[in-house]
Amino acid sequence: MSLLRFEHTSKDYLSDGVAVRALYDVTLEAGEGEFLALVGRSGCGKTTLLNLAGAMDFPTSGKVLLEGLDTSELRDGELARIRREKVGFIFQSFQLLPTLSTVENVELPLLLAGSSRARERALDCLRWVEMDSFARRMPYQLSGGQMQRVAIARALSASPCLLLADEPTGNLDDATGEAILNLLRRIVDEKKTTLLMATHSAEAARMADAVVHLRDGRVEARSRSRETACVL
Amino acid sequence: MRSVTLFHRLILRPLRRERLRTSLTICAVALGVAAVVAIELAGEAAAGSFHSSMETLIGRADFEAISTGGVAPETLTRLAKLPYALNLHPRIEDYAVLEDSHRTVPLLGIDLVGTPGEGIWTGNELGYKAGDRVKLLAGNSSRELMVQGVLGENSGETVVMDLALAARLLGRERLDRILIETPPATPGTVGEPWEKILKAAVPEGTVIEREGTRTDENRRMLTAFRWNLRVLSYISLAVGAFLIYNTISVSVVRRRAEIGILRALGATRAYIMAAFLGEAAALGVVGAAVGIVLGRLMAEGAVRMVGATVQSLYVSSRPAAIALGGSDAALALAIGSVVSIVSALLPAWEAAQVAPVEAMGRARREHEVRLHRGRDLVYAGVLAFGAWIASRQGPVGGKPVFGYLAAALLLAASAMSIPSVLAGFGWIGTLARRWTGVEGLLASRGLTGSLRRTSVLAGALSTAVAMLASVGIMVGSFRETVVRWMADRVQADFYLRPAAPAGPDRFPTLPPGIAEGLRKVFDVAAVEQIRSYPISYHGLPATLAGADLRVSERYATRAFLSGRAPAEVFEQLMDRDAAVVSEPFANKHHVRASDSIVLELAGGKRNFRVVDIYYDYSSERGIVLVDRATLLKYLPDPAPSTLAIYLNPGTSLDAGRHEIEAAIAGEPATIATNRSLREEGIRVFDRTFAITYALEAVAVFVAVMGVSGALLALVIDRRREFGLLKFLGAEQGQVRRMILFEAGLLGLLAVAVGLILGFFLSLVLIYVINKQSFGWTIQFHWPVAVLGFALATVYAATLLAGLYPARIATRLVPIEVVHEE
Repeated sequence: MSLLRFEHTSKDYLSDGVAVRALYDVTLEAGEGEFLALVGRSGCGKTTLLNLAGAMDFPTSGKVLLEGLDTSELRDGELARIRREKVGFIFQSFQLLPTLSTVENVELPLLLAGSSRARERALDCLRWVEMDSFARRMPYQLSGGQMQRVAIARALSASPCLLLADEPTGNLDDATGEAILNLLRRIVDEKKTTLLMATHSAEAARMADAVVHLRDGRVEARSRSRETACVL
Repeated sequence: MRSVTLFHRLILRPLRRERLRTSLTICAVALGVAAVVAIELAGEAAAGSFHSSMETLIGRADFEAISTGGVAPETLTRLAKLPYALNLHPRIEDYAVLEDSHRTVPLLGIDLVGTPGEGIWTGNELGYKAGDRVKLLAGNSSRELMVQGVLGENSGETVVMDLALAARLLGRERLDRILIETPPATPGTVGEPWEKILKAAVPEGTVIEREGTRTDENRRMLTAFRWNLRVLSYISLAVGAFLIYNTISVSVVRRRAEIGILRALGATRAYIMAAFLGEAAALGVVGAAVGIVLGRLMAEGAVRMVGATVQSLYVSSRPAAIALGGSDAALALAIGSVVSIVSALLPAWEAAQVAPVEAMGRARREHEVRLHRGRDLVYAGVLAFGAWIASRQGPVGGKPVFGYLAAALLLAASAMSIPSVLAGFGWIGTLARRWTGVEGLLASRGLTGSLRRTSVLAGALSTAVAMLASVGIMVGSFRETVVRWMADRVQADFYLRPAAPAGPDRFPTLPPGIAEGLRKVFDVAAVEQIRSYPISYHGLPATLAGADLRVSERYATRAFLSGRAPAEVFEQLMDRDAAVVSEPFANKHHVRASDSIVLELAGGKRNFRVVDIYYDYSSERGIVLVDRATLLKYLPDPAPSTLAIYLNPGTSLDAGRHEIEAAIAGEPATIATNRSLREEGIRVFDRTFAITYALEAVAVFVAVMGVSGALLALVIDRRREFGLLKFLGAEQGQVRRMILFEAGLLGLLAVAVGLILGFFLSLVLIYVINKQSFGWTIQFHWPVAVLGFALATVYAATLLAGLYPARIATRLVPIEVVHEE
């Protein structure tokens, strides 16, 4: 059974009163423990697809099903719960709160969920990404790669079944980016978490199990990662 | 032109984009300027009333003859006999009550020889017409009189009648004043001043002064009152200045990258600085323009309150019309702009220091501010020490200049220490997380994470709270002191006063024989006769009073600064040219026990030895109290102004009252119990400080508005953070609670700091500023209930101020704000 399923999903945005179509009739599946890379030019709909997958946005037509639940039929509170418990987000620019320490950033989703063992769990996650020795540091005291590791630990803190990564290596140098990609691969392999990653990078796409090619809001092709690397 | 275009694009456009926040800042300046304008106009109207219709009805006069207890009619004859073409205008001036409307109006008796019998002329604002019949209560008599005509423009509410009729109605044998108009050039007077000629002509004890001297004296007397009120009105402006500083700081912090680009494109440091100062000036000018209009409207209410205080404590006067002149408006515009520009100097200077390559993140900036905390704490300590030194200094030219300096230094010390206090809120984050969950943690970190701006904001709010608390403590302490003083001083069972309106400078009298009649009443143990006269002492108005000290000695208590028993002090006054003076009199004229004071009484200058100084809170004019027998020796008018009646022990108040009322039947007098007199005293006190509370409310309102505006700015700046929280699973309610917690913490901090600062400011107010301005000793007292209510209101208002920003935060679209970078 697929964890995430897009069924004839379309998404329109209003720009100056004119509807602009971001996604056209997308049908796509991601199974448990599957690593999918979304590739395509800027504006092809990668981020829109991630937002729909994470229940941050709703389709104009069609459905997005997460563990069989239609996200557009859920209320705000239920959506917030899904984001807290089932989805983890990783951003290109890390998005750590500058006023919180490393460990406080990681435990934030757990605190929002009212978890009683948030600190313990956060330290576990930091250990997993090898950042436990930086637990008390503030974000401005970390390098880009370290910040992205912390962001990954935060995304993992609630043990989500779906990870959504938007250009996770976009702000990093090649070596650091590769380390982050290896970490993501390890998460999928060891934790059996499903990962959807939007990327421009061929190196990054090569780490995925499958690559979804998007062009002008449509799924152009779905291929195995090695084939994609050749295309890119 | 190029500069104007750039200013429009770089400064005005962003201001327009954030209309709500810009409006809140403009409103803050407007309210600050409005408070200043309103107090200035109201003070001017209240003081300007000395030039009211009473003064202007006669026209030009050069000198006036006055005397304590009234000018003897023979003075007029003596002056008339002088071989010069003098125009003499004898006057009786008092107040009367119109019985149909119960309005108290000025009554003026002037020489109207040849006019028909019992007619009056009424001011144009009274609404009567010729032929109307008006029932007047004046002195001890009530009479129906016919309106002969209506006076011309600007005659106000004055009632004019012939001198003889006024004397009859008021039971006067003496005149209040003789206005003297001297001819322009008179042969024989060259080289000899008129003043000398006139002084030689009048009897001893009659004073010749330039016309308007009393008006000047009254104005001088009001100086301290108006000065303090003016300072109080500047509080709102000071709070507004904090908010301008905050607005420009936010503008600079937000646009550091933009400033860097401009510098890279060739903008000079001076241009950047001028642009941000221009932003402040624009806010200041618009705010001041709105403030002038608002101030004119607020002046209507303010003049009523200020007028009531002036009438209760200083002088009988009716407020003149409020006049907003071009100079007032120009001054207000200048104040608004200058305060705004000065408040923006520091952030504008910081903007000018931005290097062309700079596009720093906010975190680094906040870090730098955090690093200066220790240094700022040292500055705060130095400023607080400076405040202590300043508070030990005496007045300068009668003004508590160093007191104000001490208050300003305390405010500066508090502002300097706020970043450290705020940083200390880090541990509150841990507690908040335990008690309130993640919202409390995020709120406290939000505050400490944006130290720069939250410090300014907390500074503004805590300043307003401190002012509220300090003035609250001062007024509460003063009120408690007055309540205790009245309990001691107002001890007679009944007080009998004339029905005619009294004031701090007018003391209508009862018929002379009334005391004798009352002493014969079966249940009356003693009657104390008190007579008061308005006098002038060293160019300031004061009151001379005579009381039956033998009665006082037995029944009343009076606390003396020396701590001596009243009987011991009074014994030294009996049948001697000796006096005790009230504390305000002693402070105002630097008089100490055993000094001598010279009073101009009928028969000439008289020397009185000051035996002691007593606590008194009834009048700021200052009182010289002598034994009644001594007073009668120099001013032989036996009519008392007030009678204090003591009943025999065991007599019920009702029975006593019936007996007294029967004894005075037919006399136009009012009888009051000590309780009702005390209640009236407190009513007057509360009315006096109504304007103070009104000004406080404006300052707090400005601060709360600033909090709302600043929270809104915080929400806008941290929209990415709120969007991210939604990505991480935060519900709308959690985001809303976080903003409200932040507002709540800010309010808590401001109330806590404000209360501590307010306590120290109240000490400066009570023991330095009040003492040096008015000369009253106030016992410190915590007005817990009033203070608790006021602070709870401020706290609730701060929470409410967070509602709108919280609403904005919950409505942010997370995918827009998170991906916009």
